[in-house]
Amino acid sequence: MKEFQYTIQDESGVHARPAGLMVRKAQSFQSDASVSFNGKKADMKRLFAIMGLNIKKGDQISVQVTGADEDAAAKELEDFLKNNL
Amino acid sequence: MKDKIFSVLQRVGRSFMLPIAVLPVAGLLLGLGSSFTNETTLATYHLLGIMGPGTFIFNILTIMSQCGNVIFANLPLIFAVGVAIGMAKKEKAVAALASMIAFFIMHSAISGMIQIYGGADAFMSGATGSLMGMTTFQMGAFGGIIVGLGVAALHNKFYKIELPAALAFFQGTRFVPIISTVVFTFVGILMFYVWQPVQGGINALGTLVQSSGVIGTFFYGMIKRLLIPFGLHHVFYLPFWQTAIGGTMQVAGQEIVGAQNIFFAQLADPATTHFSTLATRFFTGEFIIYIFGLPGAALAMHRCARPEKKKEVYGLLFSASLTSIMTGITEPIEFSFLFVAPLLFAINAVLAGLAYAVAQALNIAVGLTFSGGFIDLFLFGILQGNSKTSWLLILPVGAVYFAVYYFIFSFLIKKLNLKTPGRETDSEETKLYTRADYEKKKNTSSTEKSNAADALSAQIVAGLGGKDNISDVDCCATRLRITVYNGDTVQDAVLKATGAAGVVHKGTGIQIIYGPKVTVIKSNLEDYLAQSHPEPVQTSPAAAPTAGSGISDSNPAADQETIVCAPLSGKIMKLSEIGDGVFSEGMLGKGFAIEPSEGKVVAPFDCKVETVFDTKHAINLSSGNVDLMIHIGIDTVRLNGKGYDIKVQAGDVLKKGDLIGSVDLKVIKDAGFRTITPVIVANTEDFQTIEILKDGSAAMGEEILKVK
Repeated sequence: MKEFQYTIQDESGVHARPAGLMVRKAQSFQSDASVSFNGKKADMKRLFAIMGLNIKKGDQISVQVTGADEDAAAKELEDFLKNNL
Repeated sequence: MKDKIFSVLQRVGRSFMLPIAVLPVAGLLLGLGSSFTNETTLATYHLLGIMGPGTFIFNILTIMSQCGNVIFANLPLIFAVGVAIGMAKKEKAVAALASMIAFFIMHSAISGMIQIYGGADAFMSGATGSLMGMTTFQMGAFGGIIVGLGVAALHNKFYKIELPAALAFFQGTRFVPIISTVVFTFVGILMFYVWQPVQGGINALGTLVQSSGVIGTFFYGMIKRLLIPFGLHHVFYLPFWQTAIGGTMQVAGQEIVGAQNIFFAQLADPATTHFSTLATRFFTGEFIIYIFGLPGAALAMHRCARPEKKKEVYGLLFSASLTSIMTGITEPIEFSFLFVAPLLFAINAVLAGLAYAVAQALNIAVGLTFSGGFIDLFLFGILQGNSKTSWLLILPVGAVYFAVYYFIFSFLIKKLNLKTPGRETDSEETKLYTRADYEKKKNTSSTEKSNAADALSAQIVAGLGGKDNISDVDCCATRLRITVYNGDTVQDAVLKATGAAGVVHKGTGIQIIYGPKVTVIKSNLEDYLAQSHPEPVQTSPAAAPTAGSGISDSNPAADQETIVCAPLSGKIMKLSEIGDGVFSEGMLGKGFAIEPSEGKVVAPFDCKVETVFDTKHAINLSSGNVDLMIHIGIDTVRLNGKGYDIKVQAGDVLKKGDLIGSVDLKVIKDAGFRTITPVIVANTEDFQTIEILKDGSAAMGEEILKVK
């Protein structure tokens, strides 16, 4: 399992469109991916689960990736977060 | 694993309750009928003139006796059908029919095998018997139970089966009786070989319990009592009542198997001079405990309650004692101390074991149909006469038991300061109890009764972690038995506050003990669950995210069709016409967009609100299988909620057309944003086709999207 932390920089937090793009990104990998925030854990491949976390600017989230392509997935997801959120 | 076994055993235990429920009435018919058609009895009471043979009353009583007897004679079939109904998850009626068919099939197969191997005479005595015209092995209620369990398993696996088009007539529920017939033909053949050594083994075990005399009886009584908290006592005592473990005896020239069957055969046999304690040892002790011992414990608890609580506790303990004395249903008393003082329950179990043993040692022989209350004592002890039952001895033994229970309970409660009813410190739990109770009372007086019932159901649902957490609801004589998906979200204290005598919670299996009124509570709860309700007590912050992923994960339901209606009035557009590079490319999922003509937003289908984004511009709704996002305006996250008036919150349950809120389209436009509203199926990957049914302008509520 790979895990990394990221602090959201986007003014509006994880709102619909970036959340949707993040979910599509996560879905492009075979590995299971999840986001933990505020004591809750959400499937990174499900838009409703991610939006339900209600993540705002300045919140630190933790992403866990587990599976065959976890190395590549963790790296690309981290890049995605840095570029978009 | 352990929890799973408990959960399965709980289902098995409660599935016995339906067939067992018929026993009291059958016992009443047989008890009254056979008591007053017994010429010896009639002669003793000088009643031969008015109700002797040939009189109208005698004929009626004969019919009653026959009708009661037929139920005991065919109990295996009744169990087969009853257990199948209890264990089938859906389409229970089909399982019932299939189980009856399988029962006939299995015994016919055994009957065929017996014929092939030389007929009934080739087997040991008592091995074979006549059942509905078939010469088959005596398998008792056990034979019925394995049919019931087996058919229910086949049913749950196959009732939705799909077959090739040519055989389509036989698919689904129609396949269940067919597969049951085939499988139980082989089960019957197998049983022919399996049952012969089992018969030997059961007879040996029966001999062991029988030959260990009063000590065996003591252990029987104690174990049965100790199993009550787990609701597993039905599984334990039934073999003794109904199979060779409980003994085998020649009555009126017939080989009778099972303690209860022996007693009733003797009851029907005019030649009986005194009932055999070899059968009644499994019953008679109950009268001593239920009519005398436990009320003694109740008196002790009342005397030990704090003065200001005495009155309150009196109501509880008096009604619990009366229930125990009259009907022999003991859970209301036992559960009042079981959870707060397990030591007392252990002592209760030992005393119970002793009561069974003492009754046997004193040759007291009173049988029962259902439980050891006064009704059964009257029918099968007093009416049968002291010469046949020695029931008068129950009185002195009972008096001793009353005193023993009273003094042991009083001593231990005071010595160890046990928190029996009326002695609790005013913890949160008692406060909860009184508050809930008070609200319940208030509801009953000020509104209709059905509202009070719904309020109670709502409380139970809340305590069980919400409607979505409930897998399955059932009940036995005194307990509501529930299976939930997630045992961790169940709050025992809330359940206790609904007026329960106790709560047993093992993993996903929950039992809430209410006493005999439970059947009404169960029906109300089922009605309540069948309607759709907002869940007021549900804690939305914790539940929303897990529910969001849970619903969509567990139920892709790809074959189900969902129609999404227009949440706003306006012009329907394709997503590609948005041209924003994200929604327009279907990056968030397929769907449609509306250019709204007015700002009112309503629910596009029956749904639960999963999330309302903080800035109010995006609302996530779930129909159970479709995750739908309504995103009002483009880039409107930057308005920070200005112009949006959203009336719903996460966790609310909506009907199609219910108001979600309104937006001020002018505010959005004036701020420089577009009002175009994408409506997106967020879990597009779960579906085959998503089709727009309409273009051009549409009114709020018109059907727009078909998701399949």
